[in-house]
Amino acid sequence: MIGKRLELPGYALLAVFGVLAPLVFPAYVQQIAMLWIMIVFALTWDTMGGQMGYNSLGNIFFFGAGMYIAAVCQIWPWYDVGEYTDPSGSLTTSFTTDQYFLGLALGVVLAAVGSVVLAALFGLIVFGLRGPYFAIGTLGMAIAAGELIGAWDWIGGGGGIRLPVFPSGTDADPLFRVPFGDIHSADLQGVFFYWTCFVLAVLTFVFLRWLYRTRFGLMLNAIRDDETKAEALGVRTQLYKTVAWSISAFFLGISGALFGNIIGFMEPLEVAFPTVTFGIFMVLMALLGGKGTLWGPVIGATLFHIIKEVTWTHLLGWQWVVLGLLIVVTVVFFQQGIVGWLQERRPEWFGIEVDRGTAGQRADAEAAEALEAALEDTGGPAREPAR
Amino acid sequence: MLKHNGPATVVAAAAIAAVIAAPASAKVEGDTIVLGSALSETGKYSTNGIHAKNGYDIAIDLINKTGGVKVGGKSYKMRVIYYDDESTPARGAQLAERLIRQDGVKYMLGPYSSGLTKAIAPVTEKYRIPMVEAEGASRSLFTKGYKYLFAVLSTSEQYLASAIQLAAEIADKAGKKRKDVKIAMAFENDPFSLDVRAGVLDDIKRLGMTVVIDDRLPRDLSDMTATLTKVRALKPDLLVVSGHSKGAATAARQIKELKIATPMIAMTHCESAKVVSKFGASVNGFLCPTQWAETLSYKGKYFGSAADFDKKFKATFSGYKTVPYQSAQAAAAVLVWKEAFERANSFDKEKVREAIASTEMTTFYGRIKFSKAGNNIAKPMVLRQIQDGKYVVVAPSKWASHKVQHPRKVQ
Repeated sequence: MIGKRLELPGYALLAVFGVLAPLVFPAYVQQIAMLWIMIVFALTWDTMGGQMGYNSLGNIFFFGAGMYIAAVCQIWPWYDVGEYTDPSGSLTTSFTTDQYFLGLALGVVLAAVGSVVLAALFGLIVFGLRGPYFAIGTLGMAIAAGELIGAWDWIGGGGGIRLPVFPSGTDADPLFRVPFGDIHSADLQGVFFYWTCFVLAVLTFVFLRWLYRTRFGLMLNAIRDDETKAEALGVRTQLYKTVAWSISAFFLGISGALFGNIIGFMEPLEVAFPTVTFGIFMVLMALLGGKGTLWGPVIGATLFHIIKEVTWTHLLGWQWVVLGLLIVVTVVFFQQGIVGWLQERRPEWFGIEVDRGTAGQRADAEAAEALEAALEDTGGPAREPAR
Repeated sequence: MLKHNGPATVVAAAAIAAVIAAPASAKVEGDTIVLGSALSETGKYSTNGIHAKNGYDIAIDLINKTGGVKVGGKSYKMRVIYYDDESTPARGAQLAERLIRQDGVKYMLGPYSSGLTKAIAPVTEKYRIPMVEAEGASRSLFTKGYKYLFAVLSTSEQYLASAIQLAAEIADKAGKKRKDVKIAMAFENDPFSLDVRAGVLDDIKRLGMTVVIDDRLPRDLSDMTATLTKVRALKPDLLVVSGHSKGAATAARQIKELKIATPMIAMTHCESAKVVSKFGASVNGFLCPTQWAETLSYKGKYFGSAADFDKKFKATFSGYKTVPYQSAQAAAAVLVWKEAFERANSFDKEKVREAIASTEMTTFYGRIKFSKAGNNIAKPMVLRQIQDGKYVVVAPSKWASHKVQHPRKVQ
């Protein structure tokens, strides 16, 4: 099969781009790092919204939770967090290279673990809801989290937290003696977080690719297609839903921890829990690319991020109108997204076998119709969801 | 079958195409010095973002029309690359990165608000790009050892200090005990206002007065009746409000609607919220701290006096009854850049940084001299009161042109 033979070069091409981008396009490191984060956003949203049929508007909650957990972990081993975040800013701080990376490692790990715990806890509450109630319930959760964090002085309240500064390249530390080619020491931070974001995106993708091919993936699809029936057949839906959400939360928590450190300053409403920007973007990107498919969110995120970075700053004041239009157009005219549309047109590209039986044209038409109906119902092919 | 290759190729090709497509430019192009700034042209800070942009533009225009910047015997024009940060710190930091890495900007002007400045300062510091900012007043910006950050404005703890002091003096004169002076506070939950609050709390503690209300208001404030209802019940002697333009406008509107009779009201951002033209006589008696006032006797080489700047600004941009200090200080930041380039007589950013650090100039905006930490220590904050629809300076006494009216007349 041609597909199998080209699969490897395809991944290789992406991997080469991912690894070499900071060396080839040093000026764009942060934007490409953001692309990987956007891909994580779309992929993890799709686990819920696409594969399981639970449209969460509050996934951004785990992004913010991860960001705050990481920030606290980076500070409290060495400073009193309350003093560190005091608005008068009287505390002078400096972190050694060891302190910085130790704190960061601890922060990333606990951000992931903490987000999973939060997902399991909140799952108990919100998974009693379905359809629009679930969407609104999760949205409320994310908004409430932003407001609550904003009222919590110990972690800076609405004043936010400034994260420890990446150690400067002049340190006599082995890390900075590693030859980084042409990279200026000021770019080390960018390159470091670029690669962590890239690794995160790759891990997310590979993990979900594997997951969707397992029995677990089929269970998620069963919940999407008919939750009551699945339950009647003995599928422990609550457990599957919670685990799926925890998986989303795991990767989102890490993305939050990384994003906070890339930006260097966080505050609850606009950076950590931005429900109306990132929270909506992740849904839109998954829909644009094709929800319920593995590649859809990746393509949707890539397209969206590129469009956004290229046009946004030239659309002064109109960018939100354009975003609104994009949402309306996608939702009304292009529901199945790019990959969904391709699957419908070229099922053979995705390994979907359309049965062309002996009954000739009638059977052909029927098969096509059945396929179309299946696609419309599920937003993706029922048998092989993960292509 | 093209199983996975299709999508993967599309992603890779699109990403590569996007990266190659964007243009790159340099810090000094031909005879033009290029500065960069991420400003809030949309979102909740857009009112003040535009005020700041107008300030930058009027100064750039003046410099370009009056001989430009002279470096090495040649005259250069100035230009600013603006991006819209949508009033969010996350976007601001990304755009600063973009200005420096992709547009090649080597000289930065600040964004609007302390929050945005907090997000952008680490970026400019990382690349050792000097930034002269005019709109980030938070004290915590100047305790982090930033070497490339310079601010022409006074820091936020000074905003309401005169008003609190005034309340203490009035109590003393009336023979009232200081601990009986009741203060109601309402602050927006954002980096700037919380820093102002920290300063106010210090002052209140030092003067031994009593806080009866200490409310946090949500961002993009459009309703504060809950706080004002408490104010009506508890009858404080002084009501303090801080919440950027939107907060000031909301407060002024609802103080009028609910006929709040507090004898002394102090709030930030009266001018930029245009409270006088919006709410008329009801705002008489409000105390408004300002970084700058057109009635002050400041005078400088570029715009002439403070009053001259006021006149020129109103003639250039329509719709201003009072020129907000946000615009004046933005213009001052541009003047700092011009002088620094000329004194450094070079475009080397380290040399220009040195020149900025040693700035000592008198402008229409007041004196500018930076401390080691980068904040301007040569200019006071003044307190104005709205009297008969006009802003008049009432404190500190060195600059006061009028006596404070107390209690304020409720109309």
